[in-house]
Amino acid sequence: MTGWGGRLASGIQRAMEAIGRGVAWLTFAMAGMTGLVVALRYGFDTSAIPLQESVLYMHALVVMPGLAYALASDAHVRVDVFVSRMKPRTRRIIDLTGHVVLLAPTCATVAIVSWPYVAQSWRILEGSPEVGGIPAVFLLKTLIPLGAMLLLVQAAAMVVRAFSGPAKASADGTAADGISGEAVGEHR
Amino acid sequence: MAEFLPLIMFAAVFAALLAGYAVAPTLAGVALLFAFGGALFGVFDLDDLGFLSGRLFGIITNQTLVAVPLFICMGVTLERSRIAETLLEGLSDLLGRAPGGLGLAVTAVGALLAASTGIVGATVVTMGLLSLPAMLRQGYDPKLATGTICATGTLGQIIPPSIALVLLGDVLGSAYQQAQLGLGVFSPKTVSIGDLFAGALLPGFALVGLYLGYIVFATLRNPARAPAARRERTQAGSLALMLARSLAPPILLIVAVLGSILGGFATPTEAAGVGALGALALAAARGRLSRPVLAEIGQSTVKTTAMVFFILIGASVFSLVFRGYGGDELVQGVFADMPGGVWGAVAIVMATIFLLGFVLDFIEITYVVVPIVGPALLAMGVDPIWLGVMIAVNLQTSFLTPPFGFALFYLRGVAPANVATADIYRGAAPFVVLQLLMLGLLAALPELATWLPNVFY
Repeated sequence: MTGWGGRLASGIQRAMEAIGRGVAWLTFAMAGMTGLVVALRYGFDTSAIPLQESVLYMHALVVMPGLAYALASDAHVRVDVFVSRMKPRTRRIIDLTGHVVLLAPTCATVAIVSWPYVAQSWRILEGSPEVGGIPAVFLLKTLIPLGAMLLLVQAAAMVVRAFSGPAKASADGTAADGISGEAVGEHR
Repeated sequence: MAEFLPLIMFAAVFAALLAGYAVAPTLAGVALLFAFGGALFGVFDLDDLGFLSGRLFGIITNQTLVAVPLFICMGVTLERSRIAETLLEGLSDLLGRAPGGLGLAVTAVGALLAASTGIVGATVVTMGLLSLPAMLRQGYDPKLATGTICATGTLGQIIPPSIALVLLGDVLGSAYQQAQLGLGVFSPKTVSIGDLFAGALLPGFALVGLYLGYIVFATLRNPARAPAARRERTQAGSLALMLARSLAPPILLIVAVLGSILGGFATPTEAAGVGALGALALAAARGRLSRPVLAEIGQSTVKTTAMVFFILIGASVFSLVFRGYGGDELVQGVFADMPGGVWGAVAIVMATIFLLGFVLDFIEITYVVVPIVGPALLAMGVDPIWLGVMIAVNLQTSFLTPPFGFALFYLRGVAPANVATADIYRGAAPFVVLQLLMLGLLAALPELATWLPNVFY
């Protein structure tokens, strides 16, 4: 029933969820590393710049790919003053319009604008501004267009899925509760 | 016409937000549509968007903002490990025997939970699910019960360590620099997140005191609104032990996190990391840290973190376009012509933020409104810490004010159907009065916010 477009879209959705579940473990590693940095400073009177920077790298790795994951699990906050009174159909139309008119241009702009910035960094294989830091700032910067493109792909998948196959009524799509939006889309 | 474009853009973003699409891409998307449209008519220079890459890199590599996922991780862990439940049971056993006691217990636990999670929605929902049924069963007036829960839930905003204050400190810090550079001060003074934490401490405690005082007052006036528990559940001896076991660890954790920041032993980021480790250890010690729970905590942390940072990114795009259209000069000009000088400007900003608080969350307001009005106000000589605390208390009030306050919506979502919405509104009203009293106190006595930071630093 669902065409290849729908299958591809579901595959993308699952991939984003897998990425999210993967980087989720990094949050604990961040806490652990931070603890280690503090312990080293007070216990052994040494400062560990690479350790400190590794927290920053993990942070960026959580944030940028996390954007698409959060979109896939409908965790981005919305202003729900009127949303609760809307029909599910109206809500779906608003979401689709938003993906196409607002989200896609934003992702595309970020990716396009940051491209020369990142390319320049790759050209010189930009390292850390700190002595002894992790020499991979060019990878860190790459996360900006990468995150934007993942977000764009996920948004495209959601649009494709809305148009392919029988539209599943998302009866549970009402749970967008703002702050800790745990509402999960129809695919789980 | 063109000089009013920034204001038109602001209004357009606001209108678009009401449609209910995700906030972050709405902020960025509408601003970009204005940028592209402006470029077509030659009133906007698209080269301005080139600054975006540097700004985004600055956002994701900002050392201070690394505290955000770590604080979120700490809060989610404390929430999932059900420490609040044990705490509330213990405290209400102890205090519930006196009229009004349960209300006091709920306020105390709510304040503690708010301090540890720092997320208004989470606190109100947790307290609403936990304590509202208990209070109603004991015969509490639904108005008093719901008002208490909503008010204490919003404390997460103001009692440090709060994520709201971390973000506000970040924005105010750069606004302060900008204001001083604009005035020709080239070795500008700084304002840190630690300063803001210290500044918010006294007003936060004062608010808890006001809430407690109101509950005592309401109980004394009409004991039937807050009756005592009818039966005793636990023996006194084991109760004290249980209380010590459930109360001590989270309090120790919060005091350690806060103390290490205020004492200058650790940066907010480091303290947040250690706090997250502490919360995980606490949950593990209680045998509540299975692998699925751990995975859930991690995933929830990633989602909330991404949500926060997407707003920072969206707001950054918005402010870039706003500035490109000369919105900064416009706002500064409006403030300069304001009748009543500094006080007039502060009053109009506070009123605007209060109204925006009905629709927007603190993150959006912090990153959209404060960068616009902050430098102008600070250049007029307003104290940055005082301004930060005023904004935080003001937003908290807004979240509590019927009929649009966020906290009221959250509680309505989890309250049983037989609690009328009108009761929730009327219950919140006295607490709104207390909030306004606090704002008035802060305006009359700025030392409430500025005295403690001077002691610490």
